[in-house]
Amino acid sequence: MNQPSGVRPDPGLALLDLYEQALPQVYGYLLARCGQRAVAEDLTTEVFLAAMDSCRRGKVTEVGTSWLIGVARHKLVDHWRRAERERRGLRVLGGLAAEPEDPWDERLDALLAHDVLAELSAQHRSALTLRYLDGLPVPEVARCLDRTVHATEALLVRARGAFRAHYQRREEGTR
Amino acid sequence: MTDPFEDLLEPVIPVDPDPRFAASLRALLEAAFVRPMSGGAMPTTIAQGDVVYASVWSPDSARAAAFYRTVLGWNVSDDGRRVVGLGQHLGLWTDPRRTTFLSHSVADMDAAMERVRAAGGTAGDAVEEPYGLSAMCVDNQGLPFALHHAEPGARSETFAQGEIVYLTMHVRDSLSAREFYGSVFGWTFTPGRVEDGWQVQGPYPGFGMQGGHAEAAVLPMYAVDDVVAAVARVRAAGGTATDPEQMPYGITSDCVDDQGLGFYLGQL
Repeated sequence: MNQPSGVRPDPGLALLDLYEQALPQVYGYLLARCGQRAVAEDLTTEVFLAAMDSCRRGKVTEVGTSWLIGVARHKLVDHWRRAERERRGLRVLGGLAAEPEDPWDERLDALLAHDVLAELSAQHRSALTLRYLDGLPVPEVARCLDRTVHATEALLVRARGAFRAHYQRREEGTR
Repeated sequence: MTDPFEDLLEPVIPVDPDPRFAASLRALLEAAFVRPMSGGAMPTTIAQGDVVYASVWSPDSARAAAFYRTVLGWNVSDDGRRVVGLGQHLGLWTDPRRTTFLSHSVADMDAAMERVRAAGGTAGDAVEEPYGLSAMCVDNQGLPFALHHAEPGARSETFAQGEIVYLTMHVRDSLSAREFYGSVFGWTFTPGRVEDGWQVQGPYPGFGMQGGHAEAAVLPMYAVDDVVAAVARVRAAGGTATDPEQMPYGITSDCVDDQGLGFYLGQL
């Protein structure tokens, strides 16, 4: 293939070179968070095609796995947003008021936690996933969600409240 | 006191996806890498020169219909002319020439016909067909094709079994053929992996060209779900097929149908 000569290798080629190594990381990240193979495959496709598009537009400074995981976070958040728009009207969300932050000392059951996350609104699910499953600091969560840090902090408080209410309701249901 | 939410931390654990998914995404990515950028938009709409219709030309189209029904599961209309139920527009036609007849989208019919003539081809009158404005042409290699007036539409990123994923044009003289298609559709060409082989940038679906062939012809690669099973069906139906081979973009086989028309199978 004809590549323009330059000191820096074409980022698109770099992405193709990275593909085999990065694919299990991106797919693994998405599969663990969305839990469905078909959805994980679709989102993985979106991630790599968007990444190639960015490479070809010269918008990328460093082609690497952590950059791709970052793209995957955006695709995941978009997916939940989209899915919620499609579901809206079919489902009435419990009008959960923002609860005051109070200590909650309990070990969370991972499987139940995943079920509970899937029940939450797209906003709450996204915020909690980025903050706690991915372990991102709040400013990075804010950047991913395209919100201010202050708004993200408030969102996280509401999301934690919603999570806790759902979680405890589910626990009571299983007792 | 620890925050129970800290328990949710889930480091990325690599998971190998289905190898078929991995191979098809790699092919998509390679295609996206070589596809020219247009107007700063995502390259997902029909561009000038995209193939919007393809027809299998063979001495006996009813026989071809039976062959491809068996091999690819094509559902052919009662008049034997159209393949129905696919996202692509495919058809069959009786003609002594063994090739795949292609119809290419153009935005400005008159200008495109002029370019065909100026480049050494012939272009008949533009005719308003039930499916739109069309003009029959012949390129400078003697290959028949059509121009079809089309507004921008969608380019599908996925292919069902029996759909064409790639086209290879065999020509006598690749230099003059490249000049022709370069000036008519604006395609560009980069050297491929084989002797006098050229990767074509511009059209959808993917396109290659090879010079040095006595007879000009277009050979399609059809998508199949299981290439091993499809190869067995080709052989049972009276055609020939090479053993499947792993290529960077998928598993393929080179085939010839029971009337001597070459094609490829690709499990991408």
